Amino acid sequence: MLLRCRIPLANFELDIDVSFDARVTSIFGPSGAGKTTLLDAIAGLRPIADGEIEINGRTLYSSARGLNLSPQQRGLGYVPQEGALFPHLSVRKNILFGAERHRDIGNAEGISIDHVLEVLEIGKLLDRPVTELSGGEAQRVALARAILSRPQLLLLDEPLAALDIALKERILPYLGRVRDEFGIPMIYVTHNLTEVLTLADWVLMIQQGRLVTQGIPQEALRSAHTIMQIPDEQFENVFTATFIESDAKAGRTRVRLRSGTELFIPYLPQPANRSLQIRISADDILIGTRRPEGISAGNVIAGTVHGIELVDGQALVPVFAGEEFFVRLTSGAVTRLELKEGTPVFLIIKTRSFRVL
Amino acid sequence: MIFSVETWHITVFSLAVGLASTLVILPFGVALAWLFARRDWPLKSIVETIVLLPLVMPPVSTGLILLKIFGRRNPIGQWLYDRGIEVVFNWKGVLIAMAVMSFPLLVRSVRTSFSEVNPRLEQIAATLGASGLRIFFVITIPLAYKGIVAGALLAFSRALGEFGATILLAGNIPGRTQTLSLAIFNFVQTGKDPEAYVLLGITVTLAFVFVWCSEWLLRAGKRA
Repeated sequence: MLLRCRIPLANFELDIDVSFDARVTSIFGPSGAGKTTLLDAIAGLRPIADGEIEINGRTLYSSARGLNLSPQQRGLGYVPQEGALFPHLSVRKNILFGAERHRDIGNAEGISIDHVLEVLEIGKLLDRPVTELSGGEAQRVALARAILSRPQLLLLDEPLAALDIALKERILPYLGRVRDEFGIPMIYVTHNLTEVLTLADWVLMIQQGRLVTQGIPQEALRSAHTIMQIPDEQFENVFTATFIESDAKAGRTRVRLRSGTELFIPYLPQPANRSLQIRISADDILIGTRRPEGISAGNVIAGTVHGIELVDGQALVPVFAGEEFFVRLTSGAVTRLELKEGTPVFLIIKTRSFRVL
Repeated sequence: MIFSVETWHITVFSLAVGLASTLVILPFGVALAWLFARRDWPLKSIVETIVLLPLVMPPVSTGLILLKIFGRRNPIGQWLYDRGIEVVFNWKGVLIAMAVMSFPLLVRSVRTSFSEVNPRLEQIAATLGASGLRIFFVITIPLAYKGIVAGALLAFSRALGEFGATILLAGNIPGRTQTLSLAIFNFVQTGKDPEAYVLLGITVTLAFVFVWCSEWLLRAGKRA
């Protein structure tokens, strides 16, 4: 996918020139960075000063060639932040609105209505007026509507931003399922780091209309420059884990990471889907240079420091322990422990500090 | 005998021509209101002003302009006359006067209701592949229909009350071009006050019902 565009805005100019090829590409950046503008430009809803947009080898816009496909011709599915369901139509009419789109624009067959209803669990809502949906339901209906138009690409604009945290954690897995079930590439706009780490396999970080960095999320978001722009509460590690067993009495559940590392997390009943996503804040991990004994924390994992980023008295220490764990310390702690590249360390994590998505 | 044949005739004639005039201007008014609310084009503000002029100009002046346009000395009037269409001093004149005078009210009301439709919905409909026409009829119109009906009611009420432009273009010919307002004027002039009061009652009742419906619709439209 090629994305090169220049759009003058009120306070700055959006000027992006990237090419990428990923299942889920996240456009990550603070509010007002020009993220929605960029999506609108890709969808053909906003004029571009000059540039070129190419998706799956198909040119949607090219100022050089004087080509500018209409939103109808672009064959993209757009889920705006507010959902934008048609308030006078039922859920059924909403989700079928784009279903008649001409096949040669859309993404061929293979997406059935029943499948979409099942994946998003909205079958029961079909005959409701959309004005009676909850925030989470409305987002899923908007998502279904976009998917059923069989788009070449899904554009998601902060689909979770309007939801509260509890609801976010319930909707996020649906997005993962959409990614895995329908094979439609996605561009996912967000200002939330957890969402990037959970869903995306490529990230474009933009600020003030410019690309700051891009790459695989875990790596791209590590640079010192980037760290300072991420709000504290969002600095988290996100892992995919497999459920092993639960012990209600002990209040804990054992899971295994992809690398084979086993962890204890707070008790949860056996889930239907054995694959889960767990997260841990970079501030909730301790580092010891010797294996600790007689402590309450349920997880002690051996690993190796690789690379330390120091910024303004803070240190971001990536530790390799089968997976990469990010730990945030004060620079004083780094000095005291004499941490450097290659230092063998132990990560100490309380069972209860893990959160399950 | 309050409701004489004449009274009935005048009332039905007014209602019929008023309704016809409203139906004639409705498609044009809706289209123009959409162009005002959703598109930018050269000279838009000039056209907007011209459309609104009859709202503030003395109706008699508007009537005089219409008379000049549709009179046989004018190329347009002559052209129509050559094809057997005569406008001046018959019901067609009444219709044209009503249409021109009520058009601005219709356009203003419909324009407002179009502006209140979230353009994001239309944009998203476009990304879902809907043509401009489908968006207009399936999204925009249904979301704005209360404002459109309210505007039409308002225009209809205005048409029924038309006096100044009508009397110039169509005259005040009993049984041919005499509407409620013209008849009231006539009755008062000739000292037939009781007849005038009957018509007065009818006009007040009609106006009340239409304005009340129109306001109710607009409030309902805001809530939805």
